[in-house]
This record gives sequence, C-alpha cells and structure tokens, in this order.
Amino acid sequence: MGIARTRLRYVARRLAQAVPILLGIAVMNFLLLQLAPGDAATVLAGEAGSATPEYMAMLRQRFGLDQPLSLQLLYYVKQVLVLDLGFSFRHNMSVLALILERLGPTLLLMGTTLVLSVGFGMLLGVAAARRVGSWRDSLISILAIVSYATPLFWVGLMLIVVFSLELDWLPATGMESVAMFYEGWERIVDVARHLVLPAVTLSLFYMALYTRLMRAAVLEQSGLDYVTTARAKGLTDRRITVRHVVRNAVLPVVTMAGIQTGNLLGGSVVVESVFGWPGLGLLAFQSLFARDFNLLLGIFFVSACLVVLVNLLVDLSYTFLDPRIEAR
Amino acid sequence: MNEPHSGPTGTTRRNFLRTTGLATAGAATASLMVRRPAVAAEPKRGGTLVHLIQPEVPTLATYMSTSSPVSQAGTRAYAGLLEYDFDLNPKPSLAESWKVSDDGLTVTFKLRKDVVFHDGKPFTSADVQFGVMEVLKGVHPRGPGSFREVTRVETPDAHTAVFRLGNPAPYMLMALSSYESPIVPKHLFQGSDLRNSKHANEPVGAGPYKFVEWKRGQYIRFDRFDKYFKKGQPYLDRIVQRSIADSATRTAVLERGEAHLTGFGGVPYSDAKALGKLPHLTVTTKGYEMFSTLTWLEFNTRKPPFDNKKVRQAIAYAMDRQWIIDNIWFGFGKVATGPINSNLKQFYTADVRNYQVPDGLELANRLLDEAGHKRNGSGVRFELVHDLTPYGEEWQRFGEYVKQRLDQLGIKVTLRYEDVATWLRRVYTDLDFQMTSNWLHGFADPVIGVHRNYHSSFIKKGTVFVNGTGWSSPRTDQLMDKAAVEPDATKRAALYKELQKLLVEEAPIAWILENKFPTVYNNKFADVIAGPLGILETLDQVRLA
Repeated sequence: MGIARTRLRYVARRLAQAVPILLGIAVMNFLLLQLAPGDAATVLAGEAGSATPEYMAMLRQRFGLDQPLSLQLLYYVKQVLVLDLGFSFRHNMSVLALILERLGPTLLLMGTTLVLSVGFGMLLGVAAARRVGSWRDSLISILAIVSYATPLFWVGLMLIVVFSLELDWLPATGMESVAMFYEGWERIVDVARHLVLPAVTLSLFYMALYTRLMRAAVLEQSGLDYVTTARAKGLTDRRITVRHVVRNAVLPVVTMAGIQTGNLLGGSVVVESVFGWPGLGLLAFQSLFARDFNLLLGIFFVSACLVVLVNLLVDLSYTFLDPRIEAR
Repeated sequence: MNEPHSGPTGTTRRNFLRTTGLATAGAATASLMVRRPAVAAEPKRGGTLVHLIQPEVPTLATYMSTSSPVSQAGTRAYAGLLEYDFDLNPKPSLAESWKVSDDGLTVTFKLRKDVVFHDGKPFTSADVQFGVMEVLKGVHPRGPGSFREVTRVETPDAHTAVFRLGNPAPYMLMALSSYESPIVPKHLFQGSDLRNSKHANEPVGAGPYKFVEWKRGQYIRFDRFDKYFKKGQPYLDRIVQRSIADSATRTAVLERGEAHLTGFGGVPYSDAKALGKLPHLTVTTKGYEMFSTLTWLEFNTRKPPFDNKKVRQAIAYAMDRQWIIDNIWFGFGKVATGPINSNLKQFYTADVRNYQVPDGLELANRLLDEAGHKRNGSGVRFELVHDLTPYGEEWQRFGEYVKQRLDQLGIKVTLRYEDVATWLRRVYTDLDFQMTSNWLHGFADPVIGVHRNYHSSFIKKGTVFVNGTGWSSPRTDQLMDKAAVEPDATKRAALYKELQKLLVEEAPIAWILENKFPTVYNNKFADVIAGPLGILETLDQVRLA
C-alpha cells in the first residue's frame, strides 16, 4: 500500500471518529449552559429598560424557552445532526451567517499571530540555545519572560498610546478605516496597517512561549549522539543546527502550536476588545452575557470542529517532519 | 453624493476670514457678531460622522427593542409623528398638526403630504394605523403601555389619522418620537411575521439617513436620504456607527478623532471629565431630558428588615447624596428627592420629606433604635446582603460606599455582584434580595416611567424593571389611576404632588441621584445635541462646523 493511500485511510478513520466526539461535545455544551441563571428574554427585556409581561411571554415563546428542557435538547441535537446551527434571536440572523462574518477576521489575526509567534519564537529560541549562558541568551530569556508576564490589555493599550496617539504611525482600532471605504490594493494596505498592533500584541505573548520551548528542545537535542556524530563528520555548527537539530527540536513546538491554535480560533477577547477587532472571541463573550445560547453553542461547535481538524493536521505534519513516524 | 460642496479646508478658511473681519469691525459686539454669520449662512453640507455605540449593536429593529445600542443605531432610519423641545413640548414632525378633543377621547393627527420612505413609496395614514395597532401595540416593549387606551386608529383620508381612546391618555402624546414610536412602512411588513422581518436589520423608514450596509463587528453605515421630508436636511453625507468593547480604547479613539461622538456611558465618567478639557472635544450633559433617569437603592419590602418603614427611612437618611455624586459619579448628577425627576417640571415637587440632611446619620441611628434593632455586644444591629446593579463600575463603587456608611449605623453589609441575567432573575423573578442598587428611566411622563415602580398592578413576577420592592398602598394606587386619565394638566400635577409626598414618606426606595450622562463629540461638528433625546434623536440637524 502506498504512503498516500495509508494517509488517506488514516484521515478518513480520524474523521469518522470525530463525529461521536463532536456530538458529545454539543450535548455537554448544551447542558452546561443550562446552569447559567436567567435567559435571553430576561436580558433582552433588561436591555430595553422596561417591558410588559406580554412582551416577555412573547419573547420566551418565540425563543422556544417555554418548551421543556428535554424537548429543547432533542431539537438541538436534531439540528446539529443536519449541521443546522440555528437562529440568533438577539441578532435576528442565522448563527452560521453571524459566525462566517467573524471567521474571516479571526482567521486573519490568528494566522498572522501564528506565523509571527512561531517564526520569531523559533529564531529566538535557537539564537538563545546556541550561546547558552551568554548575554544574548539572558537578554532573550528576560524578554520572553517579560512579554509572557505582561497583561495583554496593557501591552495593547501602551502600543496604542505610543504608535497611534503619540507617533501617529498606525490606526488605533478596527480592521479597516471605516469612513474611507477603500477598494482593491488600497484596502489591503489599509487592513494590513490595522493588523499590525493587534497581531504584535498577541504574538508577543505566544512568541515567549515558543522561544522557551524551542530553547529547551535545542539544548536537549544538542547533547544527543547524532550531534556528536555530525560534528565528528566535520560539519559546521551552523549546518548541524539548521539541518539536524532544528528539525528534531521543532516537534514539541509544532505540538504546542497545534494546541494553541485551538485557543487562537476561539479568539482573544482581550485583544479584540482593546483593538475593536471584529473576531469570534468577543462575539462569544457577549453572547454568554446576553444568554444568546443558540449563537454561543454555534461558536462552540464550530470551534470544536476546527480543533479536531487542526489536531489532525498536526498529527499529519509529524509524518512529514520526521519520516520515522507513520500515519496508521 | 454629487451635491456641490466646497472642500473642508477652503470653507474653513473663508469662514475664518469672514468672522475675523466682522470681529474687528465692531469691537463692542464682537462676540455677538462672530456668531451671527454661522447661523445666517447656508449650513455646510457633507462630512462623515463616526458614532461610537456601546455595547455592540445586536439588531436595528427599534420598533421591537428599546435597548440603548439598538436605539442609538436604528433611530437614524426612522421618523416619528412628533418631536420635542428641551422643555418636552411636542413639535410637528411626520404630523404637521394634532388636536385632542375636549373629552380627551379622540386625538386627530394631520400628516405631512410630502413624505416618502427610503424605498420611494409615500407615507400615509395607513402606515400610522398599521404602525400603532400592529407593530407598536404588538411587538414593542413599551408600546402596549403607551397606547393601551387606543382602541382603533381611523384613516378618513390618506393624510389624517384619528386615534380613538377608551379613556383619556395625556401621556400618549409624549411617546411619539422617532425613538419611542418609529413609524415603519406598512407595505413592507404587512402579512409577514413582524418578529422575523428582514427589515429588522435592513431598516426602511422615512428618517433622514438610509441604511446602506452592516459589516458585523465592524461598522454600520447610513447615508443621507435625499428625499427626506425636511428640505435640505440632513446635512451630513454619512453616519458610520462602530463598537469598541474596551473603554480605554474608546477614549483614545475619540481623542485621536477616529470617532466623533459617543454618549450614554460611552466613556467612563472619569475620562469624560478629562476629555472635556481638550480643545477639539465638547462634553455636554444636555440631551437626556426625556429619559429622566434616577439611581436609587431599592428595598425588598416583603421581608424583614425592610418591611419596616423606619428601617427604610434610616437608610435613606444615612446616604450623603452630594458626596456620592461628587466622588463616585464625578459630578455627573443632581441630588434626587423622590420618585419623579426634576426634569418633569410640571409634575415635580421638592415639598416632600427631606432625607438629605446634615445630621442624617444621627436620625438614622435613632430610627433604627425605634425599629427595635438594638446593637449587640460588638455594635452590630443586623447583617445585610446588598446586591449591586451590574451596569458598570460606578455602581460597584457606590456599593462600597453603602457598605462603609451602613457600617457606621451598625449594619454589617455583604456586597454581591452578578452578571445582568443573574441579577435580573434574582430581583424580578426569584425576588431573592434584601436591598439592591438600581437605575431606571422615568421618561417624559410619569405614566410611562414612574407608575411601573410603585403601582400594585406592576407587582409582576418574571417581568423586569417593574415594582420590584413589592410595595403598594390603596391611596397611591388610586392617585396613579386618577392621574393616568386626568386630561386637565393642573389637576394631574396636583395628583402627582400628593403621590410624591406619600411615596417619599413611605420610602420603598431611597432615591439617590438624577443621572446626568456625558455626551462627548468632536468640535468638527455643530448642532449635535438639539433635543431632549440627544443622540437618540434622528440627528438630521448635525452639520460640519
């Protein structure tokens, strides 16, 4: 059997296994959310500042909240099985449409963050490990610890104060200059300029993580026999690091990145709220307080699907990085 | 958007030359003269106003929700039958005139004939009939209350609407603004499910700005409606609405000029004070006159210790309202004396028991002694859980103040802070609270905003922001019932004055302050706040300065 075919079978099996897992997650989410006191009708009426009893009864009936819990659950499972995410009454819109509108910005921010943080994290990790104990190592380690320990919202606000308010180099918030309505190339540049501050804020945090991980992995690998062998062969330090050590050391980083991607896809409430970035995290956060459970369950479900998918990709990527690992 | 209008810099320079020229011409009346040309000249056209709305806007269906973000965003698209001046007198809008019959049972509106909706179809009396009977009475949170006496709306011709009432309803004329009662086009809603209309998020009205697009999480865009019935208006090309969840960022964005307007708690009170000192920003508390908001402490009068009037009065005496306003609300407020906001000059009276006295703590101690709550060995009279209304930091600070203050009376207070849904359920459904802070709008007439807190018919489990104290008395019920249907303004006022006296004496609520919200706007724009609804007006008068 060819490798490609084995891989395909492996993917198919993993996907089949994912179905009951996702269904279980959906049911658990539904039940967990029932623990929160108050319902969407209360919040909507609460926001209106006043309401008549008839209005509240009308809302509850419309949301299906007047049905017994078991029926609501049954209805929800039925919906999930046909991949219908339902309707958000709060937004008067289908959940799928709401999520899709936010998914783009989320993926853009998260993708950029992932590339920046993994890229620079690996570079800095290797740079530190190659001169252990030197001033360079100390500097990188201090930088990593500081950026890991600093609260994200503070970093975000300080970047706004410096680069937006003081220097006036970059826009403070949003994904586009809303009043301009740019098209084409101008729009891409505009979005990119808006992306800089949130992406840097978020990357600093994750980069610290990858730097530490990479440094440790490189150090560990450097002491192994194959490195000694390579050195005995007369390879240069640089070549040993690039061709041999990094390739082996990157495995734990990829594992970690896979797990973090799950987090990233859920969005970052803090960065989204500081920079007004239209992502999924803030939407989920607001839906929780509004008890908009249809929407919240939808976001949970989409996130769960993406996590399953990303994990599968990570597992597959192992087989490319290290030929000794086989997909079975 | 092809109207000729000069570029912003050119016009500014011309205005500048003109004003300086006049100022040097007549030194004595310089300040007067400087202003005059701005008024006399044709208002400048063009410009994009970026409005920060907080929290994020869920829908644009103002005919179905009165929540603050929905109204701030959606009101741009709709017009109402009437508008109001700062003293809350009605002015013509879609209705050019109106007449209330002597018995108060018939209200006739003459409608403008030159009004079209954004889709080009004309506005007629059929839209009023449908709007009131089906939409506002059917799906609006307050409509069933405001229009409760309306039995039918007759349409003798396309531009006359006659409201037939079961009883006189003097308060109804106060509920006809574009914010409170938006008029939707009948032809787009009739026969469809009102609650699931696609026009909830793509509003079509007769208002000054027509909806263009909504990028969720980013912005909502409204452009000038060229066929708006007020000729020449609106002046702005466009209004763009945004939400930013973080309050510090909102402040920064206003400072930077990326956004130009926010109100209703859009920036924290502390920041509002600082922003007001910047040359390019204005901070005003005008434009909330029609909300008559009050902040208070609400007692659960069903259970001890607050079933005892003396205990309630003691707490009311213990609060130093001016201190609270100056230190917790940064001066954005006015001492409240009772259930009716002093904005409502017609009905308000200060001639009630005064709880804001220098020896408040002494009086409070004496009342608690009389109520039988003696101090124990460690000086404690009783323990109390104080719930905090979950609408922002001010109320948390206020709770901390209450805790410290009541400690001096020997009442040991535990604070409890929950999220909105949990708190609403606790107070209005489970009735599981002792004392909670709260803030409610009183609106333009006591029938709309005040009765709900004190009338026995509003003791309704599961309905929010109604009589949560559970308190009522036959006499106060009777006074409110009479005032609701009394067409004579003087007699009505007398009824409300007696009501205030009785309620303040009984103190089911300790009224603390009349809220003054700060609105922040960029001085690039003029005439931003032009009515008692402030940023919830249609904003058809806003122009570049």
